[in-house]
Amino acid sequence: MDIKEILFALSSADALGSVREAAELSEKFLSRFCETRRLRGAGAVGFLKGKSDYTILLDAHIDQIGMIVTDVDGDGFLTVSNSGGIDIRALPARTVTVHGKEKIPAVFFFFLPHLSDGKAEYTDISKIKLDTGLKEKARSIISAGDYVTFSAEPLQLVGDTVSGRSFDDRAGAACLLKTAERLSGRELPCNVIILLSDAEELGMRGAVTSAFELEPDEAIAVDVSFGDGPDIPENECGRLGGGAMIGISPVLDRALSDRLASISEENGIKYQTEVMGGKTGTNADVISVSRGGVRTCTVSVPLRNMHTEAETLRLSDLESVCALLEKYVLSGGLMNA
Amino acid sequence: MLDLLRELTALDGVSGDEGAVRDYIISKISGHCEYETDPLGNIIAFKKGRNRSVKKLLADAHMDEVGLIITSVTADGFLKFAAVGGIDTSVLMFRQVKIGGVNGVISGKPVHLMSGDEKKKLPKPDSLYIDIGAASREQALTLVKPGDRAVIRGGFSLMGSRVTAKALDDRIGCAVLISLLTKESEYDFYASFTVQEEVGLRGAKAAAFRVAPDAALVLEATTAADTAGVPEQGMVCRLGQGPAVSFMDRATVYDRAYYEAALKSGIKCQPKTAVAGGNNSGSLHLSRGGVRTLALSVPCRYIHSPSSVADMKDIESTERLAEYMINGICSGRIE
Repeated sequence: MDIKEILFALSSADALGSVREAAELSEKFLSRFCETRRLRGAGAVGFLKGKSDYTILLDAHIDQIGMIVTDVDGDGFLTVSNSGGIDIRALPARTVTVHGKEKIPAVFFFFLPHLSDGKAEYTDISKIKLDTGLKEKARSIISAGDYVTFSAEPLQLVGDTVSGRSFDDRAGAACLLKTAERLSGRELPCNVIILLSDAEELGMRGAVTSAFELEPDEAIAVDVSFGDGPDIPENECGRLGGGAMIGISPVLDRALSDRLASISEENGIKYQTEVMGGKTGTNADVISVSRGGVRTCTVSVPLRNMHTEAETLRLSDLESVCALLEKYVLSGGLMNA
Repeated sequence: MLDLLRELTALDGVSGDEGAVRDYIISKISGHCEYETDPLGNIIAFKKGRNRSVKKLLADAHMDEVGLIITSVTADGFLKFAAVGGIDTSVLMFRQVKIGGVNGVISGKPVHLMSGDEKKKLPKPDSLYIDIGAASREQALTLVKPGDRAVIRGGFSLMGSRVTAKALDDRIGCAVLISLLTKESEYDFYASFTVQEEVGLRGAKAAAFRVAPDAALVLEATTAADTAGVPEQGMVCRLGQGPAVSFMDRATVYDRAYYEAALKSGIKCQPKTAVAGGNNSGSLHLSRGGVRTLALSVPCRYIHSPSSVADMKDIESTERLAEYMINGICSGRIE
């Protein structure tokens, strides 16, 4: 499978709380190339054995933003709460999937401005109910605690630009699956663990427990970061098509950042740096302080419209990330540094 | 009816660019009635019935839907647009669009990069733009031209007896009218599938002049606000209660005798309990020396959005009531 096929398959599958489609898909894919294991806090984990005991952890989170049902009324209307950061302003009249006893389409309320006196509010998600169209039957299929996900299917734009839901962080997950495929059967200088961690959008909780269990020597968190656009400040974003974004931050390991940059230079891999003043907002923040501390860096894919159904990226940036991770692992990382 | 509606809503027909819808409708009615296309692009059809009519009746549905029109391309290759018809900004944000064969997404600032105040109010529509993935203006212009229409993509899903789709306003009316034209009719009547309703009820002006009817029956979709938290007097109409029959809206004062005849028909229907909105009746009833007009509107939640919701049972009732009104008016039974 090429990287686009992997990304699209992962995007169309969902993973949020008890919904595990994307995790199961990842595990199935990984099991073709390496040993896999179930781990609390992880959607899937793959192990590639190397010649030494040194272990590099490659992490991407498998969970996505979404919503959770808090109430089902007798007329088939649902109240939901957000699970992860969501732009409430963009919810009206959006069709989503409710993961009840079966998958149900539902539509968020939308009132024409002339009927709501222009007083629409976008501060409280519980006020924008969901319409299942199922009337009293809704209660037999949906219960409080069921998950709700966006439903936009992946879309090919011009050139190698693609758009869809949950690219945060199926982009990272796709890169890790592709990297596992590329590394499988090769002689590796060190062990590689592929971690598809859970619950990043809910406070990086999956990475906390997984990193503890897996005890890596160093780690790279592969996630998405803000891509460029007309109203995005240039110093707060990466350029789509500009290659892998290598993180530099006080909370990251500078030698690791520098090594990723020099590997890119040596191999002609497109990259750009992403300099942050503190926390990165990725799993790197928690993996780096796991147990006695882990040398950690971020590698990010520039992504437009983050946390919406229109997350947009360029496949060439995914290729850059895959090439960088492959070359980096084959070099042994910081094993001899 | 469900297949007809699925196929009709899948077609793109933003106002002024209704060609695909027109071609489809012609393919369906051809052989069942006489028809012509007028200079604006309206289809005017004549259905021969078993009996001659004492009154000349025109049944109308509009083919166009709300959407966007590309106005310019930025140096970075993003497309700027204007709304065609009434579209709320909340419905535009982060939607997938289609410009002919080119895909795009309406883009903007992610929530993480906004200040607290920014998160609470809608962005100005002119701050939004369409990303088609082009790297430059030059590349974008090889694929898209100013003046091209963009359609917001919407799927077609069943929700129990209800459906959600884009453009239910007014492909529902088109579907009902196609159905009426393709089966036997008791009386002769005229039908128009009109253009440019969403930009000022314009196609119907020309259609009404050409047909010069005595009576007009508009088949439409109208706002239903029958959702949780809305008081009953604010609902306008309710799904599952049959077509909404209007006595007055912002464009028309309807014919009182037709209004009362519809409510007394015994076919499931409901009065539209708000003086709001408007439809082609606004043009039809003022045509030439005046035309007695009635509108039957299928209740539709989240109208003018890509996820509009209507009840299939209401569409069936609308067809039955339309047939009843056509036969009643054309025979002279309804005076």
